[in-house]
Amino acid sequence: MSTRLKLAVWFCICFGRLIFSQEHVSAEDTSREESTSQPFSGEDARTFVAENCMDCHAQDNPGEGSPFFSLPIDDSGLPDLTDLDDGQVQDHVNASQGDSVTIQTWRRVLEVIRDREMPPRDVASLEDVTIEKMTEWIDVKLQDQSVIGGTPPRRLSRREYQATIESLLGMKSFTLPSGFPVDQPKHGFDNLGEGLVLSPALMDSYSEVATSVADQIFPPRRIAPKPITSKVSVDDLVISYSSAKVVNDSMRLGMKCDPISRSCTWPSRFEAKVSGLYEMSVQLSAFRPKEGSSPMAVKVLARDVSSNDSVSHRSLRLLKEILVTSESPRDFKFEAILYEGQTVVLHWANATLDSDREDKEDLRRFFEDKDRENPKYLAAWHAMLNGESGQGFRGGIGWERVKANLKKEDLALITAKQKEAVLKKIISNPVLYAETVVFDVYENGPAVEIHGIEFTGPIRIVDGPREETSRILQRQFLNESEDPTEIISNFLQRAFRRPVEPETLDRWLNIFDHHIEAGFAFDESMHLVIRKALISPRFLYRCLGGPKLDNHDLAARLSYFLTTGPPDEKLSKRIPDLGDVEVLRSEANRLLPTSPKAVFVKSFTEQWLETKRLEDIMPDRALKFSRQDQNQSKLEVEYFFAEILRDNRPILDFITPDFTWTTPRIAQNIYGIKTGFDKKKANDLQRMTFDKGGRYGGLLGMSAIMTATANGVDTQPVTRGVWLLEKILGQAVPPPPDAVPPLTPDTRGATNPRDLLRLHTDEVACARCHRRIDSFGLVLENFDPVGRWRDKWPDGEVAIDSRVTLFDGNEIKDVIELKSWLAMNSDRFGNSIANQLMIYATGRPMSYREQAEIAKIVKSNQDRGMGFRDLILDLICSPIFSAR
Amino acid sequence: MNPSQWHRRSVLQASGLSIALPGLESLADTDVASNQEDPEPRKAKRLVCIGTYLGFYQYAFFPKQSGRDYELSELLQEVKGHRDDFTVFSGFDHDAPNGHAAWNNFLCGKTPNEYSLDQQVADHLGNSYRFPSIQLSAGKSSRSMSHTKQGVALPMIQRPSVLYSKLFASDSDRKRTEYLLRSGKSAMDAVLEDATQLRRSISKTDRVKLNEYFDSIREVERRMKRQLDSEIETPTTNYRLPDYDPVAPTMQLEAERLMYDLMALALETDSTPVLSLFIGGLGQVFTINGETLQAGYHALSHHGNDPDAIRDLIKVEREHMKCFDRFLMQMKSKTDSRGQSLLDSTIVLLGSGMGDASRHSNRNLPTLVAGGGFSHGQHLVNDNQTGKSRLLGDVYLTLMQQLGIPAEKFSNAHHNLNDRLG
Repeated sequence: MSTRLKLAVWFCICFGRLIFSQEHVSAEDTSREESTSQPFSGEDARTFVAENCMDCHAQDNPGEGSPFFSLPIDDSGLPDLTDLDDGQVQDHVNASQGDSVTIQTWRRVLEVIRDREMPPRDVASLEDVTIEKMTEWIDVKLQDQSVIGGTPPRRLSRREYQATIESLLGMKSFTLPSGFPVDQPKHGFDNLGEGLVLSPALMDSYSEVATSVADQIFPPRRIAPKPITSKVSVDDLVISYSSAKVVNDSMRLGMKCDPISRSCTWPSRFEAKVSGLYEMSVQLSAFRPKEGSSPMAVKVLARDVSSNDSVSHRSLRLLKEILVTSESPRDFKFEAILYEGQTVVLHWANATLDSDREDKEDLRRFFEDKDRENPKYLAAWHAMLNGESGQGFRGGIGWERVKANLKKEDLALITAKQKEAVLKKIISNPVLYAETVVFDVYENGPAVEIHGIEFTGPIRIVDGPREETSRILQRQFLNESEDPTEIISNFLQRAFRRPVEPETLDRWLNIFDHHIEAGFAFDESMHLVIRKALISPRFLYRCLGGPKLDNHDLAARLSYFLTTGPPDEKLSKRIPDLGDVEVLRSEANRLLPTSPKAVFVKSFTEQWLETKRLEDIMPDRALKFSRQDQNQSKLEVEYFFAEILRDNRPILDFITPDFTWTTPRIAQNIYGIKTGFDKKKANDLQRMTFDKGGRYGGLLGMSAIMTATANGVDTQPVTRGVWLLEKILGQAVPPPPDAVPPLTPDTRGATNPRDLLRLHTDEVACARCHRRIDSFGLVLENFDPVGRWRDKWPDGEVAIDSRVTLFDGNEIKDVIELKSWLAMNSDRFGNSIANQLMIYATGRPMSYREQAEIAKIVKSNQDRGMGFRDLILDLICSPIFSAR
Repeated sequence: MNPSQWHRRSVLQASGLSIALPGLESLADTDVASNQEDPEPRKAKRLVCIGTYLGFYQYAFFPKQSGRDYELSELLQEVKGHRDDFTVFSGFDHDAPNGHAAWNNFLCGKTPNEYSLDQQVADHLGNSYRFPSIQLSAGKSSRSMSHTKQGVALPMIQRPSVLYSKLFASDSDRKRTEYLLRSGKSAMDAVLEDATQLRRSISKTDRVKLNEYFDSIREVERRMKRQLDSEIETPTTNYRLPDYDPVAPTMQLEAERLMYDLMALALETDSTPVLSLFIGGLGQVFTINGETLQAGYHALSHHGNDPDAIRDLIKVEREHMKCFDRFLMQMKSKTDSRGQSLLDSTIVLLGSGMGDASRHSNRNLPTLVAGGGFSHGQHLVNDNQTGKSRLLGDVYLTLMQQLGIPAEKFSNAHHNLNDRLG
């Protein structure tokens, strides 16, 4: 046998089967009518194997890579059935890995026999009843011997760690430093015990965060610096875009608009080093104020120097409003508080010129006034706008051209119609043209003139926002107690999520006492206790302890599952009663989110359905799918999921619903839906209803999912096929084995993706898995890389042929029929989503037995006509959830 | 000064390590790369990457002739004193899509936000240094430039004063660090004792998992101890910063000059082998030699071929080149701990993710490589016509190999340019 052929055979047998590994036979087996004869005994099973398998799978020739290959061989040369028969298999279980290799192998054997793959029909023709008995025997044994539970200690994931600190210390909107390590997903989720590794680098980050958290609650003492005087000259003021201009040794302000970067100025070299009271003096004058107009109002605002330059002046704290009337410079002195890192911004609040889009009529009037004063004015603009550079040029350069035009003797006057066209053009882009005409204002007024600013301070230090926050945090932390024992005991109980043993408490009290004895203050000693508690394994890990979760661990599991954070106050109070399944159920029901914005909805859906990938995909511009559309499309999935959850709708609504959530933009642009929404809110998510049984509706075809399973440029039928198998049908798809050499199929003559895929599945080594994968991928080919419907493939006029034969022999012609097929096989989808939820909840992959239990829960849910919310509650109340 | 004396704690703090797995692989690589008895010593030891957000006006940047006898372009005039110490490249890019969003591929290759050149080098060379790499920006950074292996964008230091205190800790900072270390260390015993008790109460399999905790905390503790035992050697300098941070947008050119000064100091004191500097470009209106320009930098970059705008744009770009010239001068006159000129042992890459800001084109990226022990003095023109076209990634591979890194692939590039840049 050539190596190539061997590999091919190996791949067919081994991986072709493994693909079924998540499927279940138990439900159908138990529902089947009792067969008249006795079930198999261990001896019967041995006979079955000896008679039907051993001709080919004998010890010296077990069939390389076949399931039997890896099973131990007993004295008689048969695969060792005694382990399975005697219940010894648990010994092989590695708790963090799910099922043992032996169990996984037997599962594959079961599937090969059940699907009549083995023994080949030409080798042994077996009666159905024999096959059933053999598979039943294996199923029962596997269920008996695979375990429930086995989650390893779970370190808090990045997301959980952040939420835990936020909740434990009451730090609203606490964020981790940007370099904080990210977690490695396992089995599709980033919160599995197996993937949550702790490394020295992460430990370093934990220490660093612990110190900065402690610093915020008990900050190191501040020392007041000596006051100094800083002079800000005109040259030390910022000009941004066309916001100001220096003329005759003064900085002139000529307009107003929302963003400070476009209409204000501020010192470039001055910021308050500490939060404190500062004495300020601003020297201002009015340049050619309009006769009869009200005094120029200049607002002095405070801003953080490192904040965004495009913030609105409205969002800044007002320090002083100054009215300027004098045309010669005047000093305006006042005292005001500046916080650490702040400087002042000067804003002319009642300037006539205004570039905000909503005030564009003001801009039109401004130009009309100018034209009344000088009838050549708009003509000069007209000439500039129609000059060689097309649309003119903004800023001072544009104004220089207008000015040159104004000076031209032979400047042609323009008609009223032309004037109207110029005005229309100008107000079509207020920012652009205000920033040009403001140079006219700088030269000819009216403008505010700034001659300099002087700061002296800090006269005294004051509490800034940072100190305010610290005070609040400290108050929460101390909770009106002055007794270190009480404070520390309360803190540890919350940090460790369980009552603290006296011995443990003593250790932390000692840390505190020793530091006090060494001469440090109360604050410094508390600082140390916080720093150390936050790096204790009792804080960093959960799920430590015996085989069954105790009530504290159970509360934590429930809470982290549904909220990503530690138990809240209400749940904490009910911990003693949590052993009562009704209490557990009602707490779970309380914590199950009803809002689409809940972190559970986001975190679970983006990992289960892989919509997290959207962050990394940039759709080609030709697909007309903006970053905003992309973000909203991800929310679609979350709103859709949240409604099914909140309203306890049947799980089939994930496949064939009569509603969806989307934005009018996406509805029109992608889904081709024309009505049924408020068009004015083009980018708001809205609920839309439609008839069941169409192309759109349900997870299949949702833009976010179709985008996440493509690459932004082309569709990827294989990726979509794998996605559907794994996420919707719950079938594990193995990666191509390393041993198979990279294939370069002969693709000459292929004119469309379908042909390409067919050539690819002609390769015998790939065929088995790919026939199954590709059939699902091909049905979804009607959705382009962002989910828009198409009938033809791009580049050519080839119509998309989405007819396929599914692995069970059903022939379907398009996604509509695929959805009907899924609806008929709703147990597969039910088992899949339930399995994903439980992996996410428990932090471990589900074992054979657990999957069988889940299948029963799903079946009961379906039989009773219950909804999705019920299903989650049933899963939470199952022994799988409370097993460690 | 021996880099290995530097304490490892700051090394890890600074590195922005972004994966929770122990970096054994990269440590192993480092041992090979920094082996002093390597039969073929590295020609270059350090890498500096400078990226300008708005690129350069192409006609002012690229020389008209290729080869060694080219005539300096308007912008290269500003660095004419170093003509024999740099090579200028034209026609090279990453074959990536256009648009501002793609700027980030400057150091990443075809796909934005992937493992960037500077971080690949830092992971090889950086581990024995105080800081494996340092990321800086002059002006506000609207883009990211350095990305870890996992694609995490590294934050950039925008305030020169922050970089300064990172390199040359003040007395009060040092006292605070020492206090935190000492108090932390003394309390560590209690934490470990408690953890050990916890460990005893759990199952055998779970203990294996918890060993990760003990291994990690011991490593951290070992570092703390070493840091306290050894005299913490923080270099000192006579260099003084102004008493304000030039973070205001109009102060960007001043920030640029300060950052260059501090970069030269960081290399001179062997604080890090890898530096990157992002040079921003927003709406700020610069005043150059007392003359306030007619429009903001960003608006100028969208010149639409308007001669007045181009004139002002080039004025800004000349300022960037003047800053760069000053940096090269310092790199020539300063020497490292082995007495070699910094420029000889440091590769300095100046470039951009923007080929033509006026059109947001990412083709033909302006690129210049100085120092690093190469034989310079030429204008290398990419042959885009005859199918022998090369990628900017090929240039990067040559740079990595010059640093002793046996890289064969960078993003979409698989060759190198060793035949043309030796």
